[in-house]
Formats: sequence, C-alpha cells, structure tokens
Amino acid sequence: MKKFVITLVVVLMSSPFFAQGAFDKFDGQDDVTSIIVNKKMFDLMSKVKMDASDKEAQQYLSLIKKLDNLKVFTTKSTRVENEMRAASEKYIKTAGLEELMRVNQDGRNIKILVKSGAKDSQVRELLMFIEGGKNEDTVLMSLTGDFDLNEISVLTDKMRFPGGDDLKKATKGSKGPK
Amino acid sequence: MKTISIYAVLALLLLVGCNSEPSLQKYFVENSENKDFIAVDVSPSILNVDASKLTADQAKALRSFDKMNILAFKRNDKNQAQFEAERSKVNAILKDEKYQQLMKFGSGKDGASVSFVGDDEHINEFVVYANKKENGFAVVRVLGKDMNPTSIMNMISILKESNLDLEQLKPLQEMMK
Repeated sequence: MKKFVITLVVVLMSSPFFAQGAFDKFDGQDDVTSIIVNKKMFDLMSKVKMDASDKEAQQYLSLIKKLDNLKVFTTKSTRVENEMRAASEKYIKTAGLEELMRVNQDGRNIKILVKSGAKDSQVRELLMFIEGGKNEDTVLMSLTGDFDLNEISVLTDKMRFPGGDDLKKATKGSKGPK
Repeated sequence: MKTISIYAVLALLLLVGCNSEPSLQKYFVENSENKDFIAVDVSPSILNVDASKLTADQAKALRSFDKMNILAFKRNDKNQAQFEAERSKVNAILKDEKYQQLMKFGSGKDGASVSFVGDDEHINEFVVYANKKENGFAVVRVLGKDMNPTSIMNMISILKESNLDLEQLKPLQEMMK
C-alpha cells in the first residue's frame, strides 16, 4: 500500500514535467536533427516594423504574435522513430489532442493533431507526425501558441517546413475539427 | 558629453567583465591568446558600404551596430579532451538567464544556437554559437547598443547591398580547411 502511494506521488509529481517537455529528450541526440524556435524569437519577429499596406505581411505578423514554441525533430533512425511514435502516442493521450487528419501517402503515414482552445477553430497546439519511408526522414513537429487554424496556411506559405503541403490541405477551408 | 558617456559605458563594461560570474566577455579575453583558439574582431567597416547611399533607417541601424567578436576553437587530433571541456564551458555560460535563447537547431554532433542579451527593443548583444564535432566550435558576439528587431532587418538589407570586405575574416579560413 505504502509503495503504491509513493509511486502515485512520484507519478503525479513528474507528470507536469512530462507535459512540459514530452519530446525534449530527442533534443541533442546524435541521430536526431532538431530545430527549436523559442517564444522570444516570435516576439522579436513580431516587433519588426513592416509595410502596413502589405496585407500578407500583416497577416503573417499577427500570426507570429500568437505563437509560443516551434519544435521539429527529424531522424533517419528506426530506433528513434519508434521512440518518437511511443512518445507522441503517450503525449496525445495525456495532453488530450484530437486528430485533425490522417494521410497515407506513398506508404508514409502522416498524422496531424490539434489541441483546441475555447473555440473550435482556436488551436493551442498543433502536432504533426510523419512516418519515415525509404530515405525519408521521420518528422515530429509541435507548434504551441494560441492561434486560429485558418491562419496557419499563411505560415506554411512563408516557411518551407516538412509536411507543409499536407498541413495546408488540412487547414484550408476547414473550420477546425468536428 | 558624448565622450563621457562612452567612457561610462566602457567602465560599465569593465565592471561587468570583472564580475566573478563566468561571462562570455571573460571567456573571450581568457582564450584569445590561446593557440587552440582563433580570435577575430570585426568592425563595421567590413561591410564596406557607401554611407551616402543608405536610407535613413539603414544608417540608423548601422550606427546601432558596434562590432563583432569571433572566437573559434579548432579541433585536431590532440585536443579532443580540451574541445569537450571548452564546449561544455561555453554551454554553461550560455545557460545563464542573461542569454535569452531565440532558436537552435542541430543534432548531438553539430548544431547552432542564437541568443541575445537585453530586452526586445534594446538589444546589446547577439550570440551565435555553432559547433561541429569534427571541426570545433565558434562563438560570435555581435555587439551594439539599442539594437532592435527593425534595425536587424535593416542590417540584413545593408548586408545584401554591401561588398563584404572578407580580408577581416581571413584568420577563420584556416578553420574551414
């Protein structure tokens, strides 16, 4: 009984840390390439004065203001891919993410999940997992903030990140999950 | 009056430099004479731009930019242990709250990160830190006063127009070999 309580306490205490950095363990591994953009970066980028008449740039800026963190991990290693899949499945359950769409393209599974905010189209987190294929990287991407799903297409237009095209298909015209 | 304020800033910098906390400034000073390191100071003249052709915003951005210090560690077969030691020293320095990390990318073998010192509209220093297991690592400090995001964008536009005077970077070429 006592043991059980201790275990429970340990689990409860450590769970916030898991939620904080469910994928941080992939950062710095030898066969994982990671890209991490912090909130400060988005803050700074949003402070750049841009031409107010450029509508696209303004849209872009208003989205950037709402972003917190971008984390992308890619790997070619199957071992790490399995770890990533396990970590993301666990995270999806604990963080309450909903599947937005699932694509199977050339034998590669692409899963896009979101954590909705107060409104349906409001997103607190966007998670994407792309299975690796022959000579193709496995990609795990997490974008947190407080943004509208429809705004993301502005970002996919501007930045070339893996899975961007699929993300565009998923967000275009849709009003969020459900 | 202007000279006084410059002296004040210098004195302040010295005070910060004398601080017992490990700082990049100190690290740079300590290692610039070390033969495993290559130290390069770059002045704004490297840009080699015609000041008369700059827009007002660009000129302002250029004035906020002071200089760039580069310290690079060249790895060879003999200094493997030292490389690891120095690398962890730099990592430890950059962990300080003062250095706010903007972004990083890479893997365990190599990587780069960008951090800054100051607050959003008044940036005093940018730190770019890049490392590669086979070659070594490099720390670049971009120093200025009151740099802000807009001035950085302007600096980038100046860079595009400039005829970079690469002579100042000669010592680094050895590193790339």
